[in-house]
Amino acid sequence: MEEQEWPEKYPIEGKRGRKYGTVAAMKIGPMVKAAIGSSVEAQQEGRDIAYAFIECNYDEIIRAMDIVPVWTENYAGICGAKRDAQRFLERAESLNLSRSLCTYALCGLGFDEWREELSEMPPDAPWGGQARPKVMLSSGQILCDPRNKWYQAAQQFQPDVPIYNLTGFYPIYERDVDFHETEGYYAKYITEDLRGLVKFLEEHFHKKMDWDRLWETLKLADDTTDLHVECRELRKTIPTPMDTGDAMNCMVPQAFMMGTQEGYSFYKDLRDELKYKVEHKLGVIEDEKYRLVWAGGLPSWFALSDFNYFWSKGAVFPVESTYNEQVYAVRELDLPKTDDPLEYMAWRWIRRWTYWYDMAKKRPGSEPDVERTINYIEQYNIDGIVVHEAFSCRSWHVGLIWLLNQIAKIYKPIPVLVLGKGKKKEELYREVPSLILESDIIDISSYNEADTRARIDAFIDTLEAVKSR
Amino acid sequence: MKSQYFAGVDIGSTMTKVVIMNQAMLASVIGPTGPEHRKLANRVMEEALAKANLPFDDITYVVATGYGRINVPFADKQITEISCHARGVSYLLPDARMVIDIGGQDCKGIKLNNGRVMDFVMNDKCAAGTGRFLEVTAEGLGVKLEDMGRLSLEAKSKVEIGSTCTVFAAQEVVAKLSEGVPLPDIIAGLHEAIAARIHSMVGRLRIEKEVALTGGGAKNIGLVKALEAKLGFPVLLPPEPLLTGAIGAALLGRDIVKQAAESGTPLPRSERHLQEATLFTQ
Amino acid sequence: MAEKVAGKGLTAVDRYYQDYGGRARELKKLGKRIIGYLCAFTPVEIITAAGFMPFRIKGDVNEPITKADAEMETIVCPLVRSCFDVSLKGKYEFLDGIVIPHACDSITRNYSTISYSLGLPYSHFINIPHTTKDISKEFFKAELGTFRKSLGRFAGKEITDESLAQAIQLHNESKAKVRELYQFRKSDPPLISGTEVTKVLVAAMGIPAVEASQLLDGVIDELKKRASPPVKKLPRIMVVGAEVDDIAFIKLIEDSGANVVVDSMCVGTRDYFFDVDTDQDPLGSIADYYLRKLNCPRTYREWTGETYEEDLEARFGDIGSFVKDFEVDGVILYILKYCDPFGFEVPARMQYIQSLDTPVLYIEDEYSMSTIARLRTRVQAFLEILAR
Repeated sequence: MEEQEWPEKYPIEGKRGRKYGTVAAMKIGPMVKAAIGSSVEAQQEGRDIAYAFIECNYDEIIRAMDIVPVWTENYAGICGAKRDAQRFLERAESLNLSRSLCTYALCGLGFDEWREELSEMPPDAPWGGQARPKVMLSSGQILCDPRNKWYQAAQQFQPDVPIYNLTGFYPIYERDVDFHETEGYYAKYITEDLRGLVKFLEEHFHKKMDWDRLWETLKLADDTTDLHVECRELRKTIPTPMDTGDAMNCMVPQAFMMGTQEGYSFYKDLRDELKYKVEHKLGVIEDEKYRLVWAGGLPSWFALSDFNYFWSKGAVFPVESTYNEQVYAVRELDLPKTDDPLEYMAWRWIRRWTYWYDMAKKRPGSEPDVERTINYIEQYNIDGIVVHEAFSCRSWHVGLIWLLNQIAKIYKPIPVLVLGKGKKKEELYREVPSLILESDIIDISSYNEADTRARIDAFIDTLEAVKSR
Repeated sequence: MKSQYFAGVDIGSTMTKVVIMNQAMLASVIGPTGPEHRKLANRVMEEALAKANLPFDDITYVVATGYGRINVPFADKQITEISCHARGVSYLLPDARMVIDIGGQDCKGIKLNNGRVMDFVMNDKCAAGTGRFLEVTAEGLGVKLEDMGRLSLEAKSKVEIGSTCTVFAAQEVVAKLSEGVPLPDIIAGLHEAIAARIHSMVGRLRIEKEVALTGGGAKNIGLVKALEAKLGFPVLLPPEPLLTGAIGAALLGRDIVKQAAESGTPLPRSERHLQEATLFTQ
Repeated sequence: MAEKVAGKGLTAVDRYYQDYGGRARELKKLGKRIIGYLCAFTPVEIITAAGFMPFRIKGDVNEPITKADAEMETIVCPLVRSCFDVSLKGKYEFLDGIVIPHACDSITRNYSTISYSLGLPYSHFINIPHTTKDISKEFFKAELGTFRKSLGRFAGKEITDESLAQAIQLHNESKAKVRELYQFRKSDPPLISGTEVTKVLVAAMGIPAVEASQLLDGVIDELKKRASPPVKKLPRIMVVGAEVDDIAFIKLIEDSGANVVVDSMCVGTRDYFFDVDTDQDPLGSIADYYLRKLNCPRTYREWTGETYEEDLEARFGDIGSFVKDFEVDGVILYILKYCDPFGFEVPARMQYIQSLDTPVLYIEDEYSMSTIARLRTRVQAFLEILAR
């Protein structure tokens, strides 16, 4: 192996205005482009292609069976980032689909309908286009209900493409129910649903699952996740070596390349880079004034440059909740022993989603998302909370207002001296300041740059006032 | 045999139009709609009658349409503007299978077959895709509304306006102007944005030739061109695009009278409330 | 337990409709405990079996949403927002608990917000699978078991199979009476208007099952004595939608010159036209009903048959049957903005309805009746199309 000089390997001057962004993040664009390109090639070669959704607990199954996944949410994100989603959204609207629906789905459905009408990719389709699938792997799990309907709607113009709908539930947090009593029947349901999925794929692609290979793929995926966890831990340092702006790119292998060598290598390289940067105190920005947590909401894929704006004000995001839902090391999860890889996957799924439950029970008024945010605030030395409300996504954005309100109610870490009754000095505790950004995931017509920047400015003022007290 | 005369009153959100017809158009009046629909309807009707040199009692049937149709006390019947525009266009432009009406505050798409409405779509809650969009952005740019269309044709290159929200778009174009983007290019971008919204809306009806354009938007050459670019073929324009609704209303009145005469049934006529709001009261 | 119904038939209906929650308040004073719920997917049989009264929370189309915005995002289904808003304003202060089913994201994602804000002694979320597979039913039975235990703890006594069987029977009785009521809509013109039917069903969802049956009996008796109205050829309309919990829209259609003769919505045929079976254990029957029989787009129905048209028939065939049985002239698809389950299905539904050679009007509305002028134009234009 060639020994590369460390300083050259991680140049301080990055490209595209992200001076101190990670080198790893810059690899993502080409990686995704290559993946999309090869899926289009795979379609031309008549290979096994499946539409798939992010975080559905079936990645390793797909990889172990050499099926080419087309990640429809990812493709819509690409169209959004390239600011070329409008024509697909308009196409979907002319089909009588409401503009208030998930804009990923509208983009995807508009694209698919157009592709089917032309019997070829729409003109100038971003990065070659979205390959036509042979099956669609739907998911009605509690992550996102519209996924239940999206591929079904697509069948109107590609009725020859069958669907397998996987319901991967996990126990919902209840104050009067101990989820340890219910997780058993959840695990059974998930296991059998996954078994159904394997059977479906075997039938439609005329190949058998190699169970040993599945175990290997799972091991590779778990090792990858371990590395990813390490990366997240390394960001606790002050100054932080990596920010949410980059994390929104670096989540790609976790979401779309689980169980592949490429995914593993990516996080290994990222981990090495972050380790180096921590050792040499290389932060995302030199003068870190405010550390923020991105506590919820999908980003505006066409406005990731907003993170640059935060940087220009001395604000960084050492940690985020979004896309971190699955990132827990297996050794922490206390998984039951089993010979059945599908049962393994079921328990791994449940344990990841219920990670914060027991902790939340110990704090009055806390719920899992609240608990996680509070933990991040403490572990990452956080000064402020930011959430993003994307108007077309109820699945991930309803409940963010409640989250902020609840944190403010039960968690007040900032001591403030005030003059109380009888002119006596009193110490009150104020909550961590928070900011709500409003836009959408890919519909740029909802975004107002001037308004967004004004809000960020006001938030920075608040953070400064708290800090300089 | 006494000649029969028919009147159509179209009270839109921005403009009020009245026509009086028998075999041909005898008189037409177009005026701005204010908040007082009732008084205005009376006044415009008086004007039209004066032009046609007819007393009110000679009008056989009056049909009211448009946003303010419930405020025409002397009307015999109220019919929606969808049916009226369809009827008007089928008379003026018999080859049309679709009508796109772009008004001051709303826009509609109508699918026709033999002059009858088959299906329709409307947008009357969002300014994007209506005259309002141009009105607000024109003001922001300091350009006269009536110059917008002409200026857009002078564009040298394509400018994309990202915002569909009228308020955001107004901000966006002002910012672009200060960045040095040429004014005609910006205005062309605005027209393109409206055309895209309209095209997407009427796309729900499965677009078929020929397509007729009516309403204030049809008088904007820039918008006509932008829509034709989106459709991929030229559109049909009536001689006076603002009058199609009123003409259609008058003609529907004539159809009703004819049908009643043929079937021997009495004329469906609500009380013409001449006493309550005579043409000559204030 | 006092079970008298003050006034009878349509008079009582009017009272219960105008003062929605009034009867629950009376019963509360007499010692009954009231469990509020959202959506037709809540297994009310279990609530009745526990000795509580299930009370369906509804919104108010005439009340502007104000208080809700401080806690709930505006991208939520406006009906859910309205329900939450009027709850915050104290309209349902008599509630002892709330049950939220996994219906759609607007409902599911607001479980924390609703349960914490209302601060009731009892709250529970029921996870309902989206697919109808056998493994889904097995899971759902277990999940219902968890609810049964939880509610039993709150009731202070176990919910027995006998009480479940009894509750199933009571609720089935109400359903049968609603089906009987709908028969009066088949004549031309119908003997009961759509406005009246919506009033009856809304009134019924706010009182105990036993009283609902009595109320329906009273209405049916009155209808039997009703003289046939004069024959006036008006278009016969079917409304298809999610939840319509107010007469405003139905009345608008009828005032514009039409008769609403049948529907596919709640409250309507969706929650009343199928019975819970009694041929298996009660929990299994309940699981079967809510998972497989209740026909709502939030449930994904597996593709059966060969062609796409056959799939549409399997999913929407009930609409086709109603169009035929009730001699429907036109269908109005009334969908709220921000509604995911129905929103995604609009193109498929329209294709299906058009295949029946029946004109269909698609309206996207915002629940609140501030939009009434716009609705009136669309409905009127549609009726003008049908009149030719």
